[in-house]
Amino acid sequence: MTTAVISGGPVAIPRARTAGRRILSRVAGAIFVLWAVATISFFIIHVIPGDPALAIVGGAGSNVTQEVLEAARVEYGLDQPLWQQYIAQIGRLATLDLGTSYTLRTPVSDVIADHLPSTLILTVLSLTVAWILALALAIWVTRGGRIARVVGSTLEVVSAALPHFWIAAILVLVFAVSLRVLPATTAPGLPGVILPVVTLAIPLAGFLGQVMRESMLDALESPFVLSARARGESEFGVRWIHAIRHAALPGISLSGWAFGSLISGAVVVETIFAREGLGRSLLAAVIARDVPLVTGVLLTVAAVYIVVNILAEIAYVLVDPRTRVSS
Amino acid sequence: MSAFTKTTASIGAAALLIALAACSAEPASSSTDATPVSGGTLTFASGDAEPTCLDPAQSGNVPQALVSTQYIESLFYQSEDGEIEPWLASGWELSEDGLDYTITAQSGISFSDGTAFDAEAIKANIDYIRDPATKSSTGAYALAKVDSVEVTDNTTAVIHLTSPDSALLESLSQVWLPIQSPTALERGLEANCESPVGTGPFIVESWEKQSSITLVRNDDYTSPPPGASHTGPAYLDSIVWKFIPDDASRFAALQTGEVDVVDRVAPESLAALEAHSSLTFEGSSRPGYPESLVLNSTKAPFDDVKVREAFIRSLDIDAGLESVYFGSVDRSNSVLSTATKYGIETPDAYSTDVDKAKELLDEAGWTLGSDGIREKDGESLTVSFLINGDQVLAAQKALYEQFQASAKQVGIEVKLNSVDVATRYAQLAEWDYDIASAYYTKNSADVLRLIFDSANTELVGGYHSNTTGIADKDVDKLLRAAAESADEDERTDLYAEAQEIVAAGYYQVPIFDQQTRLGIKNTVVHGTRVIPALSLPTFYDSWLTR
Repeated sequence: MTTAVISGGPVAIPRARTAGRRILSRVAGAIFVLWAVATISFFIIHVIPGDPALAIVGGAGSNVTQEVLEAARVEYGLDQPLWQQYIAQIGRLATLDLGTSYTLRTPVSDVIADHLPSTLILTVLSLTVAWILALALAIWVTRGGRIARVVGSTLEVVSAALPHFWIAAILVLVFAVSLRVLPATTAPGLPGVILPVVTLAIPLAGFLGQVMRESMLDALESPFVLSARARGESEFGVRWIHAIRHAALPGISLSGWAFGSLISGAVVVETIFAREGLGRSLLAAVIARDVPLVTGVLLTVAAVYIVVNILAEIAYVLVDPRTRVSS
Repeated sequence: MSAFTKTTASIGAAALLIALAACSAEPASSSTDATPVSGGTLTFASGDAEPTCLDPAQSGNVPQALVSTQYIESLFYQSEDGEIEPWLASGWELSEDGLDYTITAQSGISFSDGTAFDAEAIKANIDYIRDPATKSSTGAYALAKVDSVEVTDNTTAVIHLTSPDSALLESLSQVWLPIQSPTALERGLEANCESPVGTGPFIVESWEKQSSITLVRNDDYTSPPPGASHTGPAYLDSIVWKFIPDDASRFAALQTGEVDVVDRVAPESLAALEAHSSLTFEGSSRPGYPESLVLNSTKAPFDDVKVREAFIRSLDIDAGLESVYFGSVDRSNSVLSTATKYGIETPDAYSTDVDKAKELLDEAGWTLGSDGIREKDGESLTVSFLINGDQVLAAQKALYEQFQASAKQVGIEVKLNSVDVATRYAQLAEWDYDIASAYYTKNSADVLRLIFDSANTELVGGYHSNTTGIADKDVDKLLRAAAESADEDERTDLYAEAQEIVAAGYYQVPIFDQQTRLGIKNTVVHGTRVIPALSLPTFYDSWLTR
């Protein structure tokens, strides 16, 4: 995905017809991705052991009579051969019908509408905070001396390697249990979202910081910075107008990927902080073998991922003048 | 990440919590013998999964039972010592042939929607649970011997059975066989999932999925259970029922005061909890078959009783429980929980004896190989231990790792096979395990029939409740006779004899009783008790001082 964004950048053919074709192929690609996600998730969840009919009647381990189990199978079409279930599933999806969750017994689209906003808020805020932290770190490291470089790059590597559940536990211990300044679990308003966001942002900031620092250092040593300096541009202007754009470019193209990783991080963070969201829905759905809900959530995540990648591509063009189409 | 590193990490995090908690001890609690006051909102955090439906007749699992105990009541009440007492039913009578239970409905009780509770309501509910469309699992299973329900007058319902069932009244005191408003039931399954209507002290007001359930006081409440400390409406205005699945977060929320009561207190949190004078731990045994290891006797190597006994003798359960649970659980020496009537203890069957274990394996022809693992006919003595990776606590996992180490000392290699819950049930169904962890919550000694009757090795609903594969004609006969007997002395003898035979066959080893483990902010919450049938907390008597 990342490479697609980068290679999408510099290729610019200034003809409207080509642009139209490009949009068409992009739409076709998106549909292919969604179909692939639906297909893979359908078969994977049927390959792993476990009976979806049990999910319908109360989960594995319920004492359930054979008649009740059969009734559930027939009602949800689970008595049909797998390929028929698959065709029915794809047919429903093609008409934008995500079906009804086995466990929640409500339409999957309602579940997603209920929980997607919470996950989006979490991931967008985390991405923003990660960006701010990464940029600040990159600028500090490139300005400072050797010590700043050593400390900075150590910070980047360490924070990029920290697992979410560990960061969350430490943040809760320090800020909720000891200092009592923030809630340990989710709460309405800004205070409740701070710890989840910071938990997700720290490893990502470390990762983004590494690439941003590298390209900022490259930029500061490149001829255009030299000529800017020669023109009499201030050090502030050099860093904040010229070099920062360079630093931002790999960050932007990585943001598409980062968004995906944030959503998988949301599964962990939403569980630890008892925060509502799609991550928790997905976890519960996978454990329960709730096929429609798993498929619905994965399709939603894939769709968000596609949109974010397109946005990243647009941002890339805006920031990097070389990729702009001149007539 | 492997399950092992996750376990280690959680234990590490817990150790940190304990260290921090020690630094922040709190002032002593206020006295709890003051007069109860009305008002306030109690926040409860459950560590169990969020229910998918608030009507415990639909499906029927522990998360549903926990919350519905606050708004739904049962026909009967089962006391701590297993006796049946009247609750919504004022009395009962059993016919000579044991096939007809005549049940009298208490008069003057209404459901929270205003519908009166009467004999018709009893019939409507039993029919509702037995209707396959309801998809009741636990409830319908318990009513398997019911043929029909007949209403003879306004307060009298007769339950006709196909064969005698001495466990029926015990079943009817479980919240999985709820008594709900017939008017509300007519709204359909979905509406009943969202807002079930019972006779209980609270009413379901709203349910924000993945966030919380809000319960408000039922001002017209008139049916407190036996053992309640007051009558009339509950003291609390409302309850906010939250779900915090992560053990450490749930405990942190209790410490910070975000929640007032939590359940599923993890053993590794217990020391931290007890270091706070403002927090109280309340553990109570759940009824049924305790948390145990079951050995699959249907295939090698545990088809040989000597190998089964050797494995059990190799385990040092007392030491394991002490090191992992910090003395918060008592060892079980019975196939029935201390909360279940008719249990007998057979400690000799489960005592540690490493020398005897080695002797037994020698006798059975398993000789020690060069790698310390025994062999016979070219096969090594390796057994697979099926673990429910989704639900197993870090402490339990640590306990199993200790068992693994002790078995190795006598030459048995134990492979821990940690899988998710659905995979576990699939492997259980196919007898694809040598050892499995198991328990069975049921408030009747009749649970023994589910676990040890050879008939229950057959799959029912994708699951066989007999997981050891024991098929002993004497045990079958004793348990079936006990299930049909209404005579208390006779049941005592029959159950005792069956338990002796089971223990002597080394099919399984009980470890500790399943527990309800509450953590309570004692400076705020007073008067919380458990309904003994399933040892579930009720907040009817609870009151707050903030």
